[in-house]
Amino acid sequence: MSVTEQFSSVAGVQHQHHHRRGTFADHLFRPAAPPHAASTLAIFLRLKCCVAEAKEVGYGALYENSLITNEICENDHRLAHSLESLTVGVVGLKYRNRLVHPWGSAVGVGNCRVSSLITHGFEGAVLMSLFWIVLRQLADIEEAMATSRKVITKEEWEKKLNDVPIKKADMNKLVMNFLVTEGYVDAAEKFRQESGTEHIDLATITDRMAVKKAVQCGNVEDAIEKVNDLNPEILDTNPQLFFHLQQQRLIELIRNGKIEEALEFAQEELAPRGEENQSFLEELERTVALLAFEDVSNCPVGELLDISQRLKTASEVNAAILTSQSHEKDPKLPSLLKMLIWAQNQLDEKASYPRINDLSTAKLEDPAV
Amino acid sequence: MPTPSATSNRPEDVILRLCSLETEVKFKALRELKNQIIGNRTKKLSYVKLGAVPAVVSALSLSADAGDFAGLVQASAVIGSFACGLEAGVRAVLDAGAFSLLFRLISHHYDHKVVDAVARSLRMIYRSKLAPKYDLVQKENIDFLLSLLNSESENLTGLGASIITHSCQTTIDQKALCEAGALKKLLSLLEGSLNQRDASLESLSTIIRSNPDVSSEFMEADSGRAFRTICELTKDRYPRTRLLASMCLIAMWNTSPSYPQDAGLRTKLILVLLELLDEPGQVGDEAPFALSSLVARKEDLQKLAFEAGFVDRLSNHLRKGPLQAKRMQGIFLALADVCSKLEACRSRLLSLEILKLIAEALTHESSEVQVAACICLQSVSRSVKSLSAGLFLNEMLVIPLLQLLNGASAPVQVAALRAISNIVVEFTTRKSTFVQCGGVKQLVHLAKSMDPTIRLNAVWVLRNLVFLADNRCKEEILLELTPSMLSSLICDPEPPVQQQALGFVRNLVDGSIDSIGFIFTEDAIILHAVGRQLRSTSKDEVCVQGMYVLGNVASGNEFHKESVLQQLLPSADSYNQCVLVKFLRSSDNGLRTAAAWTVVNLTFHGCPGAYRRLVKLRNAGVYSQIKNMISDPCLDVKLRVKTALVQSMTFGDSSS
Repeated sequence: MSVTEQFSSVAGVQHQHHHRRGTFADHLFRPAAPPHAASTLAIFLRLKCCVAEAKEVGYGALYENSLITNEICENDHRLAHSLESLTVGVVGLKYRNRLVHPWGSAVGVGNCRVSSLITHGFEGAVLMSLFWIVLRQLADIEEAMATSRKVITKEEWEKKLNDVPIKKADMNKLVMNFLVTEGYVDAAEKFRQESGTEHIDLATITDRMAVKKAVQCGNVEDAIEKVNDLNPEILDTNPQLFFHLQQQRLIELIRNGKIEEALEFAQEELAPRGEENQSFLEELERTVALLAFEDVSNCPVGELLDISQRLKTASEVNAAILTSQSHEKDPKLPSLLKMLIWAQNQLDEKASYPRINDLSTAKLEDPAV
Repeated sequence: MPTPSATSNRPEDVILRLCSLETEVKFKALRELKNQIIGNRTKKLSYVKLGAVPAVVSALSLSADAGDFAGLVQASAVIGSFACGLEAGVRAVLDAGAFSLLFRLISHHYDHKVVDAVARSLRMIYRSKLAPKYDLVQKENIDFLLSLLNSESENLTGLGASIITHSCQTTIDQKALCEAGALKKLLSLLEGSLNQRDASLESLSTIIRSNPDVSSEFMEADSGRAFRTICELTKDRYPRTRLLASMCLIAMWNTSPSYPQDAGLRTKLILVLLELLDEPGQVGDEAPFALSSLVARKEDLQKLAFEAGFVDRLSNHLRKGPLQAKRMQGIFLALADVCSKLEACRSRLLSLEILKLIAEALTHESSEVQVAACICLQSVSRSVKSLSAGLFLNEMLVIPLLQLLNGASAPVQVAALRAISNIVVEFTTRKSTFVQCGGVKQLVHLAKSMDPTIRLNAVWVLRNLVFLADNRCKEEILLELTPSMLSSLICDPEPPVQQQALGFVRNLVDGSIDSIGFIFTEDAIILHAVGRQLRSTSKDEVCVQGMYVLGNVASGNEFHKESVLQQLLPSADSYNQCVLVKFLRSSDNGLRTAAAWTVVNLTFHGCPGAYRRLVKLRNAGVYSQIKNMISDPCLDVKLRVKTALVQSMTFGDSSS
């Protein structure tokens, strides 16, 4: 029996899909590794006040505090949301190397003195305040219907920045939220000791991380059993997640050259899911197509074997477990960054002001005249 | 790690090991089973067929007796999974007696892991319609429910909310819950965790629905804070929360429509729901149903929805396709609701070339989608303007609709018949399209159906089909239907069928004088049936149609008029009250109008026998009744009565 025949016996249809999924971009939304260097944490800190304020008045407040965003929020939730994703993309690109440290670094912050970073208060405050100033400035300008581009000097800007009150405790909560959501147990514990910020039960993080790690190491079956022990509802009520885990299991079998087993698994476990849902069927076909190539690294669906595929699946499980535990599935920090970028872009059209181009240093550039 | 190869994982073997007396073996078998079936409908079904569920339930029971907590947790999880997303699974679980066992466990067990596992399992069962109703009127039940809601554990509060969502069905249930403080508790859960908030929103809708008392209690709670909280939640970042909060407001508005008067709030809600349509999965699937219940039967809201771009947004979704069946169904239903009253919506929808999409949906594999498309078509085709333009009666729509009539399921046939009955109301000569497609044959076949609803709708279509049809068309239809079958439909056991059948005859004899001839074929079998029905029935709506038949026939020649009189006054010396007098005395405006028309037509001056008929009618007491009606409250009646009297006076009838 030739390989292609085996293939078609599973899925019934024999297509080769050549479109590639953006595994790269998918990553950007969820930093997959622990924050490593001081600069990374500093960035988090700089943004905390936005979150703090947002938390007090509820999530929507971030939008509603400015005229323009308010309007958007009133009329089009979707637009507001897509702006968010757009800006997070931009942030992700800029921070890819800083925020997302490659695998292999120690889990947790290690020797880095976390709390000392909080003293980077000034620099942090600049960026945090900036967000609000940008928004308020926008509102002012809209109101004044300024005909020419307004120029705001660095001094004016910094004065405004200083007027924004920032609580250190809120900043810490923001950092903790990031560490907990992304599952950095050791770092979270260390941070708690040093900053005194409380967080949720560490045991739940440990379980969640065990699942995530299992997927990242390719032990998908083990991961599935762990999720089911944690909460049997998760996979029973998330068909898409369940399919992706099974798909990952198939990929691992193919990676390990267990062709017979892979085919049997695809027929037994995955084909019925494909019958239930058209988009699953297409993904299944793509996956089984791996079998049709001798040199998988060069085949059109080769990226499925990439480590990034594991990370993507792991993120998905992580998010589902978080949701089942009533936690937000995304950390607040990336949303803040993307909103900052968005606000700056809006302001760019109206005024010249001390912009932050490099978010990692939060340096205020001189306004271009 | 123990290697599973030591023991086989074949279903039969797993089931065998479930019954093992060794705790460890049993535990492993339960866990193995759990991991095999979670997320896998196929496996669930095959295990159900192999009888695994009773084995698991007995394992649960044994573990409970033995105090084996680990076994209890696993067995509960397995039962929950069987009940998740599979009707056959729920049934098997209920049949095996798991429900009462689990309930006993949750009421009495102290280990929180066991309680959590059992609560999850019960919640799964309560998601199904098959779950038994929790008796909310019993005091101890309500107390227990409140203790669940008051619990610290998310699983227990979630279970409490699920029980309410599933079991709160009557006003009495709602009242009992409210009096016990459940409404307050649910409102306080809105401040809880994300999952508690969603569960609470769902239960709140159930408890408010169609109960003005609870609804107003909700609106006034915390001097309106609860209401404002829910309004805020419609803007939450989580789509599911937005949807549930919206549904809560809709339940409230459908109960207390005027609170608060703010139209802006309603417009915002429409916008929120329209955006939710973009969500993948369940939320996006349910959003159109929520929209539909928001605008159904409410013209003011339909107007707001139209202005908010409702029609365009929904049709865009349809056009973008392909959509999951559930979503398509919802969108068609929502469109049907928004078009049910407003011509503006209908013409907008038609301008978006929706008919092609409807035609496609008529051949969709899901019967729910077919039905929804029919309902949408029915609603759109209420537009007289578009009917006059002949937009509907073409092969693109007629052929798939007729195919649906061949379909097996009654709901599809009924929905198709209802749509057809609108589109065959035509003012042009396109009715032949329908006849040529073989529609009449099928309708006649369905008019013989044993199912009264199908029979009713089939006759209704025929009635509309002969409306303003030309004589050739009428002749073909009557030929297919046959006068004898028509007369048996007139005497159908179901009054609504009688009404439509008489309506058919009324339309049949309407128009040129030749068409009156149809009623006299086969020894006037149809006319006799009409007369018989008029003398025997007590239903006003049936009599109205029957009287119009006679009124129409009485507009014909001498022979026609005499035959009508014959039906109205069968025997000269009858002690029974003349039906005509009875109808003239009716409290139904339509019936009095129809009866007065008949008198006018029978005594129309210039006809040779008019005077003779007038005398007969007077002797039967018709005119003494007519004279009493000179100032009838119904203008239409008053006018006809006047005409009748004027006609009688031209004969020098001095008795008036």
